[in-house]
Formats: sequence, C-alpha cells, structure tokens
Amino acid sequence: MTLPTSLDEAVAALAAMPAAVPVAGGTDLMSAVNSGLLRPAALVGLGRISEIRGWQYADGNALLGACLTHARMGRSDFAALIPALAMAARAAGPPQIRNAGTLGGNIANAAPTGDALPVLAALEATVVLAGPDGTREIPVGHLTAGHDPLRPGELLAYVRAPLLHAPQTFLKATTRTGPGRATASVALVLDPARRGVRCAIGAVAPMPLRPLEAERWVSGLIDWDGSRALEPEACTAFGDYAAMSCIPDPAEGELPLALAHLRRTVAALARRALERALS
Amino acid sequence: MGTQMRGTAAPGRTPTSLSRRSRTKGGIGESTLRPDGTLKVIGEFAYSSDLWHEDMLWGFTLRSPHPHARITSIDISKALAQAGVHAVLTHDDLPTAHTQYGLEYTDTPVLADGVVRHHGEPVALVAADHPETARRAAAKIKVDYEPLPVVHDEASALADDAPILHPNRDDHHAGHVPHPNIVHRQPIIRGNAAEAAKRADVIVTGEYEVGMQDQAFLGPESGLAVPAEDGGIDLYIATQWLHSDLRQIAPVLGLPEEKVRMTLSGVGGAFGGREDLSMQIHACLLALRTGKPVKIVYNRFESFFGHVHRHPAKLWYEHGATKDGKITHMKCRIVLDGGAYASSSPAVVGNASSLSVGPYVVDDVEIEALALYTNNPPCGAMRGFGAVQACFAYESQMDKLAEKLGMDPVEFRQKNAMSQGAIMPTGQIVDSPAPVAELLRLIKAMPLPPEKQWETARGAADVRALPGGLSNTTHGEGVVRGVGYAVGIKNVGFSEGFDDYSTARVQLQVIGGEPVATVHTAMAEVGQGGITVNAQIARTELGVTQVVIHPADTQVGSAGSTSASRQTYMTGGAVKNACEAIREKVLETGRRKFGTYHPAWATAELLLEDGKVVTDSDEPLADLVDVLGDEVIDIELQWRHRPTEAFDPVTGQGFGHVQYSFAAHRAVVEVDTELGLVKVIELACAQDVGKALNPLSVKGQIHGATVQGLGLAVMEEIIVAKDAKVCNPSFTDYLIPTILDTPAIPVEVLELADEHAPYGLRGIGEAPTLSSTPAVVAAIRAATGLPLVRVPVRPEHITGT
Ligand SMILES: Cc1cc2nc3c(=O)[nH]c(=O)nc-3n(C[C@H](O)[C@H](O)[C@H](O)COP(=O)(O)OP(=O)(O)OC[C@H]3O[C@@H](n4cnc5c(N)ncnc54)[C@H](O)[C@@H]3O)c2cc1C
Repeated sequence: MTLPTSLDEAVAALAAMPAAVPVAGGTDLMSAVNSGLLRPAALVGLGRISEIRGWQYADGNALLGACLTHARMGRSDFAALIPALAMAARAAGPPQIRNAGTLGGNIANAAPTGDALPVLAALEATVVLAGPDGTREIPVGHLTAGHDPLRPGELLAYVRAPLLHAPQTFLKATTRTGPGRATASVALVLDPARRGVRCAIGAVAPMPLRPLEAERWVSGLIDWDGSRALEPEACTAFGDYAAMSCIPDPAEGELPLALAHLRRTVAALARRALERALS
Repeated sequence: MGTQMRGTAAPGRTPTSLSRRSRTKGGIGESTLRPDGTLKVIGEFAYSSDLWHEDMLWGFTLRSPHPHARITSIDISKALAQAGVHAVLTHDDLPTAHTQYGLEYTDTPVLADGVVRHHGEPVALVAADHPETARRAAAKIKVDYEPLPVVHDEASALADDAPILHPNRDDHHAGHVPHPNIVHRQPIIRGNAAEAAKRADVIVTGEYEVGMQDQAFLGPESGLAVPAEDGGIDLYIATQWLHSDLRQIAPVLGLPEEKVRMTLSGVGGAFGGREDLSMQIHACLLALRTGKPVKIVYNRFESFFGHVHRHPAKLWYEHGATKDGKITHMKCRIVLDGGAYASSSPAVVGNASSLSVGPYVVDDVEIEALALYTNNPPCGAMRGFGAVQACFAYESQMDKLAEKLGMDPVEFRQKNAMSQGAIMPTGQIVDSPAPVAELLRLIKAMPLPPEKQWETARGAADVRALPGGLSNTTHGEGVVRGVGYAVGIKNVGFSEGFDDYSTARVQLQVIGGEPVATVHTAMAEVGQGGITVNAQIARTELGVTQVVIHPADTQVGSAGSTSASRQTYMTGGAVKNACEAIREKVLETGRRKFGTYHPAWATAELLLEDGKVVTDSDEPLADLVDVLGDEVIDIELQWRHRPTEAFDPVTGQGFGHVQYSFAAHRAVVEVDTELGLVKVIELACAQDVGKALNPLSVKGQIHGATVQGLGLAVMEEIIVAKDAKVCNPSFTDYLIPTILDTPAIPVEVLELADEHAPYGLRGIGEAPTLSSTPAVVAAIRAATGLPLVRVPVRPEHITGT
C-alpha cells in the first residue's frame, strides 16, 4: 500500500502499478475484500492527499474534493452551501461509516443505493478526473453509468457542483429508523436563476432517474418572482407524475405489488420533497 | 447488642431461606456490575473468534448451494494439491460409524452423506495454514449434485408423492406422527370446545403467520481445537451448553468423553442459536487429522447458514366469547417449519401447544401443534421457543374479540386473565403467583408519551423521533399514532419430564488472611449475567466478599443449557445449594472448634455474614478465618428443579412445566401511513420476576427481549425463496433494530415469590420477547385500521400496495 500526499503522486503511483486499486475510506472496498469478492494486488491510499479533502469556490460553483467524508459534508457550514448533499451525507450509513466514507468513493462505487448520486444528478454536477495525461471533466452520470469510465491511472479528483442559493431537499426511504440502504430516495433542488425544479430518484434503478417532464411541468406552475407556493394538489400531482415516469405501467398486465409499493413510495417522497422546498 | 435465645430452635439449624437482607456487600438484590461489561463496550473483551495458538491451522467449510440434492461424486484432489493445505475431509473420512448428531434426534450428518437437505449444509472441510488458502482450496473441491424435488411448506411436505426427507427415522416420536415429514405433533384436548362454542355470542377466527427470525448474535460461530498428547482434544468454544456439545461430539470422534476437554471461551451472544453444534466437531476432526491446532471462524454470511433459526409458523385460531366478555372456547392449529433437521423442534412443538391459550382461563380447548421436516434452513431454539409464535396469534385474537364485543382490549384481557390456581390446557395447575391482570393494569396506568413528541422547543422536527429517522422522510407528514397492548406466558426450564439439573462446585478457604469462595460451574455465560449472579449468591450464602468464578469447562458436572430462562434458577440454585452444604461444614467445624465457648453454637440459627459466623440476632461467634484455618472445604453437588412429566401424546395432559413467567407490554408507535414506516416510540413493560437477584440485569434482560420482539414485529426476517434458498444472509439485508429503532422502555417489576424456586425467583429472559411483538403490531393496527396478520409487518403491508 502506498500513501501519496498529492494528487500528482497518486496518479503517478497508479500509473506505475496498473494492478493497484485506489482506496479512500475503504468502507465499500473493505467489505468487498472481507466477503472474498475482491483481492487487490496493491492499494494506493488517498487519505493523505489534503488538496482533495476540502472544498473551494470556483466561479459560482463549489469544487468538492473527492475525499470529503460524509461526516464533513453533513456539518452545518457545508449544509448552508449544498443542503441536499449534506442531507444525503447525514443519511449515508452509521457514524463510523460516515466518518470514513467519502464522496469520491460513493461515486466511484456507483451503487444503486449510493445516496450522493441522486443529489449530484439533480445538481447536474460534473466530475474532474486527474490522469497521467492531465485532467478532464465529465458529467457524474457518464462516469457512474459506465459510458465514460475511469481510464488507467485516472483518479476522481473533484466534483463541481453549482451553488444555487435556494432550498434543496433529500429524502430517503429505508426499512428501519436507524441507518439502512435506500429502498427509494428523492433529491430535489430549486434553481431560481434558470427558473427550474430539478429532481432525481435514487435506488429504484441502477442509476438515478430524472423525471424531466414532471420537472418541466411543475417549474412552469411556480411563480418564481413571487411566493413560489403551490397548491397541495399540484405537489401531489408532481409526486405522482415523477413516480409514474420512473416506474411506468408495464406494457401488459398489472404492476407487480412490490413495484406498486415502490411507486407509491416515490410519489410520497417526491411530493414531500417539493412541498418542503417550496415552504 | 442483646442476645435473644430461642429455646425452640433446633440446635444448629441452618436457615434455608434468608428471611432478612444479608449485610454482605455484593450479595443478591444488589445491582453489582458485570465483569465483562466495560470490556465489551470498549472492544477489549476476548471472544472465541480472538483465540490464537502457535502453529495453528484454519478450517473452512464447503457448503451446499442446493437445498435438496444427491451428491453423485466429490473430487478433492485439486484442493489437496494446493500448497498450504493440510487436510480435506468429506463424509467418507469420518473416523467412526457415528456420523450424525442432534439435540433431540440424532439426524444431522456431520458432513453430508450422499444427500444435502438444505441450502448451506456442510459438505467438506479444509484445513490450511491461512484462512484464504483454505477458502481457495475449498473452491477447488468438485462436487457433482443431482438436484432433487424441494419440500418447502406444509402442502409439499405432506403431499402423497412428497419426498420423505428422513426415511429411516428411529426417534421416539416417529411412531406417533401421521406423516414421516412431521417431526412431532402434539394435540391437547381439554373440555369440549364444540359444545362450549354453542354458548358463544361471538366467534372470531384468524390465520396468522410468523416469519423466520434469526438470533443475529454479533459474535459469529468460532472455536479452537487443540490436539492433546494423550490422543484427546482440548476444545475452546463459544456455546450455550458444554456438556450437551460433549455428548454429541465424543462419539463422532470415537473418543471417550474424558478425552474431549472443553472450555468455554468468550461468547458473543446466543439467544438459542448456539444450542446446536456448528463448527465444534469439524474443528476437532481437522485437529485430530492434522495433529495441529485448528481454528474455525465463520464470517457473517456463513453465520446465517451456521445456526438454526426461529421456526416460521402458520397459525389458525378460533375463539368464542359471550356478550359479557368471557371466552367460551379456543381451537387452534399451529404449523411450525422445522426445516431439514429436527434440532429442538419437538420441544418447540410442546411449548407452542401447551402455551397456545396464553395467560387466559379457557376450559374448553382443542389444540394441535406440529413441526415439519422441509428443505428450508433448520429451525430450533430461539428466545421464546414456540411461545413467541403462539403469542402473536392469540394476542391478535384477543384484540379482534374485544373489538367485536365493543370492549376495551385491556379490560377484556383482564376479565379472562389467569391467576394463581388457574388450570392450564394441559391440566396443570398454576401453583405460584400469576399476576396477569395486575401486569396489564400497571402498563395501562403508565403515562403516555406526549403527542407529537418529535417537536422540539424551537419548533423544528427532531427526525430521530420520527419514522425514517435521519433519512429525513417525514417531519410529521402522514404520521399517525397508535397504542397497543399484549401479554404473554412462557415456561421456565426444561419441560416434559426432562431430567433437568445443574451442578456447582464450591470451595471455601483462607487465602492471604481472607476467606475466599471459588465457584466452579459449566454454565455458559452468553451475556445473560450468570457469572455476576453466581458470585452474588455465593456472597450472600457464605458471607464472604471475595468470590472467584472459575472458568466454565467440562471438568465439573453439567450446568444444563443457558436457555429456557433457566440459568439463574438452575445454576443459581445449584450454587446456592452447594453453598448451603459448605455452610453446614463450616458450622460443623466451628462447633467442633469453638462450640464449648458459647451456647449459641448449639442452640441458635447460625449464619455466615461479613466473614463471620453470627447468630440470627447478629451476635458474632467467630471469624471464618479462624474456623477454617488451613482447611479447604470443597463440595460439588447436582441440583434439580421439581420433576415434570411428559404430555400425553393424545390428550396433551400432564404436569409438563416447572414454572411460568409473565410479562405485558404497551406499545406506542408513530406510523408514516404513506410510506409504511414505523417508529416505535415507547414500549413499556411490566413483568413479575419473583425476586430480582440483580435489578440492573433484570432490566437489561427486559430491554433486550423487548427490542428483539420489536425486531420481529417490524423488520427481522430471513427470506427463504420458494426454491428453499436463503436470500438475505447479511446485516445489510437482514435488518436488526439499531439504537435509533430502540424506543424508551419504561419497566415495572413485580416481585411475587414462587415458593418452589430459589429465593422465589422467576426465569425472566424470554417472557418479554413474547408480548413485545403483538403489542407493536396492535399499535400499528390501531394507527392504520389494517388487519396485519403477518410479522414482520413490512412497509408494503401498511401502504396496502
Ligand atoms: C455499514 C455500511 C453502511 C453503508 N451505508 C451507506 C448508505 O446508507 N448510503 C450510501 O450511499 N453508502 C453507504 N455505504 C457505502 C459506502 O460507505 C459509501 O459508498 C462511501 O461513500 C464509499 O466511500 P469510501 O471512501 O469508503 O470508498 P472506498 O471503499 O475507499 O472505495 C470504493 C471504490 O471507489 C474507488 N475509489 C475511491 N475513491 C476514489 C477516487 N478518488 N478515485 C477513483 N476511485 C476511487 C475505490 O477504488 C473502490 O473501488 C455503506 C457502507 C457500509 C459498510
């Protein structure tokens, strides 16, 4: 295991050992090792690279270091910046996991239940990747969907997220009160400058889903220069619309019971997310 | 201090019950702290998985991926050829003709014998110099399976063409069962239910279902077997009952029991799941084969396959009642899924049937309980043992009856509650306090938590107090409160004529100028606090403050199992008994040495307190140190509870149980009715404990049992697919309550002595597991108006989708 202290060193270490695997908090990686699914030949630890453990401002955006922990993102100064990401971070596992687990690990692991992912989708965030040939920037979804995977020697360095200065929410359904993986989650952000509501549904599909038509429909109903308030029926309709677009009726026959429950869950979460963002 | 002489006192009579509080510090009734507590909290307690030996090998178990299959061939050559591998064993390598074991029936193969009967059944063993090497070698064992049809429920088990899972049964129930795939069936008939039903103004029926709960102990199965020079073996092991393991291990190894020396090592919870063997025989076989110490530790995944689970059950009930709220009769049929091997299914059936009425007076009953053999995972002991399943069903019925009669559910229960002198469906008279109505009164009288308890002073919602918790799903939207009640009855100790005993060896001697008692038992401390209580008993009985608890091993007689709420009663009773015998000896010696100096030696009731022999009016006669001198008093004695008898196989009549234990719960829940999420915010419990030997431990047991019942109510279930495969063997997918799921648990304790039990105590560890589950479900029903006939209640049952 090598422990580089800068991004450049880390990239060089990875390039020198093609079989090496980067490890940040190790909360996903080590459970794969412990259950015998993964036997990395070598590890490059990212924990000492201080340049990617914090965040900075860049042209109205925040540049978030890949090694920001969930615990750090859950604190109130970060919550003032990107509230939905802070809420997701607070819901991502028990405290031990949140102290170690990172934003970059959550993205690179790309689990359907990754809690940061729907928030980043709603924010339309991008990732900055550092590799032997310099850096490149792509939408988060391109990486997590595998359209444009990490290249050899490449590391996830930063996440660029817009600062929207407006309410955001994140809600996650699980089956207990204590920490648990999402059965469905909803991230919703208001973007007053672009007069838009953006929403992403997590955990119901391999990657977050955007109910674009529902977003567009509800964005048009909102009086962006006024109170922004909506009738309860409009919020309910938005929830149903969003849920229906993520979990459509099958071409034939009835929706299986488990999916019907999931759709109701998404509808309730999306409705509550919008109500809270507008209240 | 005046000396009061009682002329009538028999000379030297030793009081057998302590009528006054002992002055010796750290005695019974005090909340002395457990020695393992802090170590466990700070992560320094040594569990059996931490065992280590120079030069040891690691064992690994290859398990069946099929629930039912014939093994046509096994090729171990590639595994054996791997560097670092010391042995590979299959059924053919077993050293003796004893190739099966089992708690009640000897029906479980040590390694699969040509057939596997459940997903995860052990097929082969590997010992290697590194756990990873052992794991990889096991993957190279080539096993050819020919899948067989799967038996997965009652219909497929009892069908005409059902495969018979154990064709050559020779167990004692085989002759009584209507079908060879029924492990055991126990009917109970008392009075005339059909006739009594005619008196009923209302009749209520229901079908209920209980999912497969897991003990989910945190310390996985593990142990270390060390071959000894005499050809025997030393086994360091986490178990619930050393001597029962020993009885099953020795014949398979072909060793006399004296050559299998077992020592209890740190146990990380048990809850019934360590009553059966797991890796014990496997580690010993590998150690004897290789001549080296062998350690086996399961990981969490394997642990889900490594022990039996709670029996899933289907329960059909019918109750009738008169308009004024008196139950007329009860009929029920309880079908338990025992899985592939018998484990303790027969005893679970005995409990389910004999406790199926609950703590109520019903004179006319028709009861049938049975356990099936299927290809599902084997099921056996788990806290509550057959009484849990029945309690969910009869308490659901009580609410249904009360509602139909328009009565308050607590008043209805109180009207039918049993009390001392009541007759069980088995004809057994309940001959000690049974304060069922009083327990219900106590929980009902407790103040309710305030409405909207999640609102903080600043007006914001504390999401931790709401369904969904930190997942932030609700700030009060869609949330409805419900309140529910339940009460249950559990037996204590081993029943149905089992010769249940414990053994204690106690030594008393002077060490470093102080009297010291050493208590040696084979009792498994699995977290229940038994070692703490045993020391308290020794202090109280012998009046010494220094008590050494000898490690539990098989060098002393059996203590019986740490299960059935029995260890404080049984091993506590054995320690008390041995201490009384020691005290007799002390007094004998004292009379011999000092009797001539003071008449009280001959005439008064004498006690040992504060390191002295004192009269019952507190006059000191001699220091223990002087009485003992160099003498070591050393006594080992067995101790039994009063005998019980088997249930009649046709009528179910018989004095089957030693003691009964009662607890009642009130659950207060907040339900997010749109998402189907439940937050239990309070689960108040009242229990009669007879005598609280350690009040803090009593509370701990009640808290733990209550939370385990909550787990069954709303989240804990091993999902077994129709093809009998286990779907969720991990703590990501098998959820247990966390501290955020744990409600406030106010506890009211009654101490009504049972004259048959030591100190009047009652076994307490299980009763609160029973009533917790139905109380929570009753509260969810109250919040939602839904019938909810299955546990665990899942979100989709609440949202109705
Ligand atoms: C008990 C438990 C509960 C959990 N609960 C949740 C939950 O509720 N919600 C949730 O979203 N997640 C949860 N997780 C998953 C996990 O904690 C998160 O996904 C976490 O964000 C992963 O971060 P990490 O730093 O630990 O990743 P690691 O384990 O260090 O790495 C994960 C993967 O990402 C790669 N990687 C890490 N950093 C980089 C980088 N900078 N560049 C390139 N590749 C990288 C690694 O090579 C590895 O393949 C839980 C995990 C556990 C063990």
